[in-house]
Amino acid sequence: MPIYTLQINNRTVEVEADPDTPLLWVLRDELELKGTKFGCGKAQCGACTVHLNGAAVRSCVLPVSALEYAQITTIEGLSADGSHPVQQAWMEVDVPQCGYCQAGQIMSAAALIERNSNPSDKDIAAAMSGNICRCGTYPRIKQAVLLAAKYARK
Amino acid sequence: MISKVDRRDFIKITGIAGAGLLLGFPLKSKASGLDAGEGVFSPNAFLQISSDGSIVIWAKNPEIGQGVKTSLPMIIAEELEADWQKVEIRQAGLDERMGSQFAGGSTAIKNNWETLRMAGATARVMLVAAAATRWDVAYAECKASNAIVTHEPTGRKLTYGELADAASQQAIPPIVDLKQPRDFKLLGQSIPGVDNKAIATGQPIFGLDAKPKGMLTAVIARSPVYGGKVKKILDSEALKVSGVVQIVEITPTENPTMLVSGVAVIAKNTWAAIKGREALQIEWEPGAGAEESSTRIKNQFLQNVAQKGSIPLRDDGNVDEAFAEAAKTVEATYEVPFLYHATMEPMNYIADVKADKVECWGPTQVPGRVAGIAEMLTGIPRANVKVNQSRTGGGFGRRLMADYAAEAIFLSKAIQQPVQVVWTREDDLLNDFFRPNGIYKLKASIDNTGHISGWHINASTTSRGMFSGSRDSPHTTEVFPDGFPAGFVPNFRMEYSPVQSVVPRGAWRAPGHNATAFVDQTFLDELATAAGKDPVAMRLEILGKEEKQMHYRDHGGPFYNTKRLRQVIELVAEKSGWYQRAPQGIYRGFAAHFMFGAYVAEVLELTMSASGVPQVVRVHVAVDCGIVVNRAGALAQIEGGIVDGLGAALYGGVTIENGAAAQRNFDTYRLIRYKEAPEVITYLVDSTENPEGLGEMSLPPVSAALCNAIFAATGRRIYKLPVKDNELFQNI
Ligand code: FES
Ligand code: FES
Repeated sequence: MPIYTLQINNRTVEVEADPDTPLLWVLRDELELKGTKFGCGKAQCGACTVHLNGAAVRSCVLPVSALEYAQITTIEGLSADGSHPVQQAWMEVDVPQCGYCQAGQIMSAAALIERNSNPSDKDIAAAMSGNICRCGTYPRIKQAVLLAAKYARK
Repeated sequence: MISKVDRRDFIKITGIAGAGLLLGFPLKSKASGLDAGEGVFSPNAFLQISSDGSIVIWAKNPEIGQGVKTSLPMIIAEELEADWQKVEIRQAGLDERMGSQFAGGSTAIKNNWETLRMAGATARVMLVAAAATRWDVAYAECKASNAIVTHEPTGRKLTYGELADAASQQAIPPIVDLKQPRDFKLLGQSIPGVDNKAIATGQPIFGLDAKPKGMLTAVIARSPVYGGKVKKILDSEALKVSGVVQIVEITPTENPTMLVSGVAVIAKNTWAAIKGREALQIEWEPGAGAEESSTRIKNQFLQNVAQKGSIPLRDDGNVDEAFAEAAKTVEATYEVPFLYHATMEPMNYIADVKADKVECWGPTQVPGRVAGIAEMLTGIPRANVKVNQSRTGGGFGRRLMADYAAEAIFLSKAIQQPVQVVWTREDDLLNDFFRPNGIYKLKASIDNTGHISGWHINASTTSRGMFSGSRDSPHTTEVFPDGFPAGFVPNFRMEYSPVQSVVPRGAWRAPGHNATAFVDQTFLDELATAAGKDPVAMRLEILGKEEKQMHYRDHGGPFYNTKRLRQVIELVAEKSGWYQRAPQGIYRGFAAHFMFGAYVAEVLELTMSASGVPQVVRVHVAVDCGIVVNRAGALAQIEGGIVDGLGAALYGGVTIENGAAAQRNFDTYRLIRYKEAPEVITYLVDSTENPEGLGEMSLPPVSAALCNAIFAATGRRIYKLPVKDNELFQNI
């Protein structure tokens, strides 16, 4: 099996994997980064969202062979201590219910706020509607995104 | 309101006699790294106080998103007078000293309320008694607060840490004072989820994240049609996939809620197992279920409701006479689909079966059932089965079934190594235990005084009780003969006929109620229109002014109280401005429901886009659940239930074609998304009644409130869910 060199959370790592292995399973099974979640495997639910060169992408459909030299950030790389404004806002607003979708939600929100720290309701809806939450935490996600944007502006 | 509970009753309630009361048996604290000589106060299985003042409280039940890892320990902390900020909460494993540990029926709060209060209060009394002994003063002069005991006359203080050792020498108090609700400091507050930080930083706390040493991953090929069996396996290609270790056939159990026929591809990692399964060639024996279809089932329903129901459930007065003498009659036939659970964390489970013991990890609502299955499949006594409780990425009733845990146990036993069974989303949808589908035929009469004089419901559903082989009558999981407005309408008939099918069915959030509230509450709306009455006023008129205890034989009974139901209806009507004209372009719908002990009333507001797509903008909801334990948690459950219920009502539905679900993943099974979710405004009734759970009750009325609002907007009634399957709304 080929060996790939990846840039994950500002570290350089080497992994041996089949070329078509989705990044999701490389993160979870090879690198023990379990924060990125498996939800659908089909780019439908957003549970597996990570940042690829700063943009929110679905890691379940990204083959590892396409990712050399790309900058990848996972939920673990956002901040280990929860100090990122989006993580802060998520905890303060008490968004999670079961919590399973939330890493993906946070990653989508973080990518949004990174490029737009004053998002409109429409911007938020566009950025967050790719992430499903079966627990129905959407009303609090809205509050948390607005709060995170406020923190980011400071 | 119980304020004193005898300890003997407490022991009866909890079943923790002896084993749970570790008095005179001080443990050494491992976590705090204390010197061997120092003691730890651990008066029962729920809590532990170390000499350094650290307090650990165990969360006993599975956390599936209903917030019990936070709310149950809060109850202990309140009575213990602990400082919540300094308490460490740990998830308990399956532990018989804790009594029943499961997540279902919204029962965690109500069933554990007294037990956990007693657990905290017993410890507090012993700490106070230890302080009184130390100071040689009267017990009554000492008071506990914030993990400190104060001798009130002199102001002397001792911390719980300083008292831990002495408290563990105290006799167990025969009678314990519980706090009065008005003295609660923690309960009723908004306390954030104890795992929030772990979730926000991506810690490996879910079942799918666990990885015991040496663990392999299994992905299983199951029959493409319900009830099919493996006939022949060609595994040479699968074994060639790099990382694939072994192929194991799973022998089904007779009961289809346990093990179904399948072939497991066991591999070093998930992707290899998925690829290995793709390469597997299996010939299936499809069995009798291969022809099953939604059309066949629906035809059966229609036949059933065209004749007398096979199970008569209620027959008050004389419905036929009422209809004959009516000023007006109204008829409607409602249809609800199979619903998929769609927990965001797909089914998965880890078992490690050794020669003489079993250890398990993973998401479940029924850890005790997992232990029982482990014993059954391995022959290893339950006492040697350890079940760890992982945080669970959604339950909604799906994980009341432990079929996927049974698979892990079966496979680990077969290969004598720890195995994690992982389901893909497609596996999860196809092999779900769906909410039963059904048809409900209703007819009602309005007499010449404008009152509802007769009500006849004839229902037929694919009873889930019947699927799982329950000995109870198949109607018990489907319809509720005492539900409102039964008991108020003088002539009332209910009958029911079950339909059997190979399609797997199970409990889905607010089981039964998620369909009956839709039916009853939209039909009432239609009757209000027919009688020329306001829908809220009509319900209040039916309920009457006088307070009554209505007989209610289902879960949440034996009674419900008309005053409490009336109160939530009046509250939401007032707060939402129901009696004022709706703002231009806003259409409103109302519904109310009682279930599992709690009372809920909702007013839903929507707008219609130019292309006729309804957008729900706001839902007002009033809830009476007795004492509120965690305000933030209560609001989350209520909001979440409404969003979830709306999604199911608008988009949810599984259709069966050629013996299997026609939907495969979220591209064909639609869940509600951020942009479709409304604002939710909740009004909680101030109450000192014992608390009721909240995981389910906000969901049932919302489908009716939605459809009643759609009627207000369009003049068209929705008789069939999901809304998107109605011709008028195909473009939503
Ligand atoms: S798991 Fe990748 S989008 Fe669902
Ligand atoms: S919090 Fe449970 S799926 Fe979003």
